[in-house]
Parts: sequence; C-alpha cells; structure tokens
Amino acid sequence: MRILYINNDGAGFADYLDIAENTTVEQFFKIKMSGAQPSDYLIRVNRQPVPKDYVLQANDRITITPTKVEGARF
Amino acid sequence: MEPHKIHIKLAHCILTSLIELKTARLKEVQSKLKDMAYRSSQAIRESRRYQIALEKGWFCAARSVINKVGRDMHDFSCYLSRFIELLNREDVPVPTLSDIVSELHQIEQEFAQFNFDLAQKTISVITRPIVLDGVGFGPFEIKLLLDEYNQFYRDRPYQVIALDPKPAASDENVTHPHVSHDRLCEGQGCTAIGSALEQGRLCDFFMLVIGILETYNPDSPYVALGDWEGYTCYDCGRTIGSDDGYYCECCDNEFCGQCSTYCQTCDTTICLGCAYECPCCGQPVCHHCTAKCKDCQETFCKDCLTNGLCQTCEEMRKDEEYDEKPEPNPAIQPDSVG
Repeated sequence: MRILYINNDGAGFADYLDIAENTTVEQFFKIKMSGAQPSDYLIRVNRQPVPKDYVLQANDRITITPTKVEGARF
Repeated sequence: MEPHKIHIKLAHCILTSLIELKTARLKEVQSKLKDMAYRSSQAIRESRRYQIALEKGWFCAARSVINKVGRDMHDFSCYLSRFIELLNREDVPVPTLSDIVSELHQIEQEFAQFNFDLAQKTISVITRPIVLDGVGFGPFEIKLLLDEYNQFYRDRPYQVIALDPKPAASDENVTHPHVSHDRLCEGQGCTAIGSALEQGRLCDFFMLVIGILETYNPDSPYVALGDWEGYTCYDCGRTIGSDDGYYCECCDNEFCGQCSTYCQTCDTTICLGCAYECPCCGQPVCHHCTAKCKDCQETFCKDCLTNGLCQTCEEMRKDEEYDEKPEPNPAIQPDSVG
C-alpha cells in the first residue's frame, strides 16, 4: 500500500512509501521516528489531525512536523 | 470578495511564483553550463601555450603556465563539485492549483488567527504570545510575501514581525532570541523550511516557523535570554544584568563594571567619564571631591590639598618663605657670644 510521507524533521523531504496494510499512525510514527516522542510533533493525515489508532489508507498523505526547532543567529 | 475566490486568486499567485522559481532553477543550470564551457576553453588555450613554450625551450614560460593551470584547476574542482551538486538537486514538482487551495484551507483550520491579503499579496499567520523560559515576547505575525516568493533562492520571502515588541535591552531590532530586523534565523529548520516553501507546502512552513519561535536555542541566540531584560552600558553598549549595573550619580546613567569606578574620597559610584584623575595621587575622584589649588589653579582631589595648596605649590611657598626670612645681623650677637 502506497502513501505520501512528508517528514518536516531535518531535511524536510516528501516521498511515496510502501507500507503494510492496517498500519496505524502510532505504528508508523514508531517506525519512522524511532526514539522520538509523538508529543513533540504535529501529525496530520490528509491535512487533518487524527487519533493514534487511525489506520493508514492507500494514498494517504501523512505529515510529521516538529514543534520544537532550534533557531540560531546568522 | 467571496473567500473561495480569494483562495483561488492567492493560489494562482503562488503557483505563478513557483513556476517562475522552477524556471529560475533551470536557467541557473544553463548559466553554469556556459561557464563550464568557457573554463574548458581556457584550459585548451593554456595547453597550446604550454606546448609552444616547450617547443621553444622557454622553461620559465612553461613553469609560469603550469603555475597558472594549477591555480585554475583548483578553482575548477571547487566549481565542478558545486555544479554537480546543482545537477543532482532533485527536481521539485510544482503543486497543482487545487493542492495550494487545500493548503490555504488547512491554514484556516490550523491557526486561530490568519490573514489573506489579496491587495498586498501576503498570507499571514499570527502566533500565540511567545514565552521562553519565563520571558515574554508577545505574539508574532509571520508574513509570507507572495511578490518575493520567486526570489526564494536569494532571500527568504517572509518576515517575522513582533506585534507587541519587547526587544532586547541591548538591541531594539532583536525582538526574539532568533529574530533580528524581522528576519528569522532558521537554524536547524533551514532545510525543512526551504523544502516546504519550494514545494508550496505553506501550512508546514508556518508550523515550522512557529516551532522555531517557540523554542530557545541557548547556543546561538542574537541576545541570550539571561541578558534580555538587562541594561545597556551607557559607555560601551554591553548588556548588563539588572542587578549588575552601576549607577553614576554624576551623569545619571547605568554602566557596566568595566566602565565604572568609585570616588576614592567619598566612595560614591561614578563612571569613568565623570571620574577625575587627581594629577597628584592618580586616584579617581568625583567632582564634589575636587578643588582648585589657590596658587596654580589646577584641580586636585581634596586629600591632596593642604590649606588649599597642592603639594608643589605648598613646597614652593615654603621655599619662598625661607628665602624671604631676614638673615641674622652679625653686629648683634646673642648673649655670651664674642
């Protein structure tokens, strides 16, 4: 099953991924963001907030955006 | 105008800019290719010069050509690696108009305060009041400038404006530890923000900027939080903590420890500008503790004046007094003499 995954952590890439059927948002987060806390991220599926047990569907668009990003000075 | 029409018009503006951006990126490749061709032709020219120098036995000239080629090749290798980087940059697909309209809808859902200004061609999101480690900075307006979107590779097309500015004591242009002159220093968010803007993912862009505004990086702020509410030294401009300043009673200003001293006579704190260095003892004193010598009119600390006279004048007076003293009359001898 193919989904669009947009990771705004680090390089901020967007790519299509093949994932197993019945993968929940929580499971997907654990696989892709190993060691990270879900509370430090905004997770949206098809531009909407979803519960952690939401089962990803084919062609879903999932974005993971950190809520804490360290700025700097020029 | 109806909201959905505003959305479509704004989305069209963004789409046009993204297409211009893509064209600019392709033009950059063309320009670099031309430059590569010129550099290659230069190498061929140097090869001919070198061959002639060898044939004629002009070894100095040959050495000179080798040196130049060495320098050129070094530049060329740097240039080549940058060119390869440019060629390997992934092609960024331009989003569809409906994708961008969806982004605008998402902005409306995600953020409590936003503004789509078609006349000014701006999209703004207003943050909640930002508080970092107990220091408040008020809300910020993140304003995306659609007219400047196509200049993205030269300069970021957005501003971060403090709506209720509480700037750093040392620099009024710094309204947040990572914002100066309405520009955000993106730090770790630089690549992700760049990608979001490049791909027209506006909502991700706003979320990332808010993420930076709500996070403090103590390693690289314009002004550290600890120095935010301090004073600025009136003399050197350095930020000083609210409890670390020295108030000069003479000029009514705050100074840092290095720009202040105290009067050696009355112990009052004074700045170096108001302190007077006594020419006799060399100690700093305040103007209350100075006086002029009655004779030479020079200013001294009061401790160095005796009866209104400086040491030198006092000694001179003593000498004069000694000189003016009448010499004893030899005709009149004390009793029992002679």
